Amino acid sequence: MTKNIINIGLPSKGRLKHNTINIFKKKKLNIYSERGERDLFGYIKKLPNVKVIYLHARECIEQLSLGNIDIGFSGYDLFKESEINVQNKILISKKYNFGNANLVLAIPDLWIDVQTLLDLDEVADEFKKKKKRLLRVSTKYPNLTRQFLYSKGVTQFQLVQSLGSTEVSPFTGTAEIISDITSTGTTLKANNLRVLKDGEILKSQACMMVSKLSSKKKGIKKLLNLLSK
Amino acid sequence: MKSKNLSEKILRSIKSKGFKVIELDPVLETKYILQRSGENFKKFLFSFYDLNGKELCLRPDLTVSSVLRFIQNKTNKKEKVCYSGEAFRKTYQKKDSFIKNQIGFEILGSNNHQKDDKAIIDTSLNILRNGPFKKSVLKIGNVELFNLLIEKLDIPTRWRNRLKRHYWNESYFNELLKRLETNSDIDPVFIEIDKSRYLKMRKDNQNKMVAGRTYKEILDRFNMKINDPRKTPTGKSNSKIIKEFLKIKCPLEKAPKVLNEFFKKNKINIIVGKGFFPLSKNNNKNLRIEFSAANGREVEFYSSMIFSIEVKIRSKFKNFISGGRYDQLTTNLGFRKVSAVGAAVNMNLYD
Repeated sequence: MTKNIINIGLPSKGRLKHNTINIFKKKKLNIYSERGERDLFGYIKKLPNVKVIYLHARECIEQLSLGNIDIGFSGYDLFKESEINVQNKILISKKYNFGNANLVLAIPDLWIDVQTLLDLDEVADEFKKKKKRLLRVSTKYPNLTRQFLYSKGVTQFQLVQSLGSTEVSPFTGTAEIISDITSTGTTLKANNLRVLKDGEILKSQACMMVSKLSSKKKGIKKLLNLLSK
Repeated sequence: MKSKNLSEKILRSIKSKGFKVIELDPVLETKYILQRSGENFKKFLFSFYDLNGKELCLRPDLTVSSVLRFIQNKTNKKEKVCYSGEAFRKTYQKKDSFIKNQIGFEILGSNNHQKDDKAIIDTSLNILRNGPFKKSVLKIGNVELFNLLIEKLDIPTRWRNRLKRHYWNESYFNELLKRLETNSDIDPVFIEIDKSRYLKMRKDNQNKMVAGRTYKEILDRFNMKINDPRKTPTGKSNSKIIKEFLKIKCPLEKAPKVLNEFFKKNKINIIVGKGFFPLSKNNNKNLRIEFSAANGREVEFYSSMIFSIEVKIRSKFKNFISGGRYDQLTTNLGFRKVSAVGAAVNMNLYD
């Protein structure tokens, strides 16, 4: 990456992309692409030293930690899920009022005997003692889920990495319970899942982040101030 | 070189007590580590997949490898083994090495627990005697005493199981004690709401499965939960007894007296004899031997006796040898029960 260019990572799809572009629009900074909608690079007319790169929201965090992008927009959940060595290289500059969602622990609705994590701990123990296997938790957030379960005393479980449609895992034999991000809870309900009474792992929202490696880069402070107003 | 000489000296000392040197596999299946130590430990593993999709890892310690070797040999004969080598764990601290040098010794398939517990401690003391340390302390505890105490207290079964299960996690255990004091466990509102669904499910096929559990299992547990006493009037006093018990620390020779007085004061029908402890005499002036009821709480797989030897280095006591009995380890790994007692020497202390 060129030294004097400020690279900004933006989410490449969905509502997060739309809302992030709006932040720029409100500041009268229109992002344009040279090769149409599918172009993953963008530019801002008023800021010739800025280059926009559209990335997966998870990739934004990785690239910030490596210093390949200087400013990035992504979810607080993805930042907290990243390894501690990655988090230590990134600063949260601003939290926004969009992208609100909760990371929660959800169980099959018909597990009527399980309401809290104390119950889940007992069921996990039953799995180990009677079924001779560990309770499986399907998730795209293994680090946050592990930390949360351990902090609440649930230790007898196995994480199963999910790449998508996590909600189906308890009914396809992949896992027994899940942890997933939800904003309204509709998808969980539609898939016969229920959030544990004390199963909220993390409240998330969209954030503007800056790479610690770039904090001294020319023009960064000015741009951060402009976007934060 | 210095470290190699030291490890050879320690191994000689262990072999002189009748232990046979064995070689251990450097790679093992990750599932065994997961079953023994859980996901929190798994994150420190150097793991990878073989061509069949089986997850393997570099050994994070030597105990599991040794126990697996014994199981695979399909023998029931008692074995006294020792081993040395490198174990591999990820670290987030720049200063820490991901290679841990370890020496371990074990008695597997033992029938005389008391005799073998004593043999492990004697061997550890022999290593200590041959080492350069001037001041040391041997701490002995026993999880069985805690389990006995919990069995004798008047508390609901699910609380009993919970306290035993989380004995190892001190901060969460303390949280549980607080909950025991305030009876904050079951929410009556939720129980009422789900009673209607309970009745519907009861009419359905009881073998129907929902995410790995049958209707019967779900309903049985639901039943048990509402029938188990909601409130325990003795929660506060029981929590106080448990806390006081875990604070007990005294010279080992006084332990039976101190424990018996404690149980008598709290009207608990437990009597501890001298034979309960694997050691009674101390011939080393520079060694302090103490009983500590909460000793070794951080290592989950011990099932009864737990000990540690700490040595004084530059005015601080540091762990040198630790060990204990782990009779449940093989069943936790999904194999037949093998009684086992052993210890590991922290070679990084010499670095």
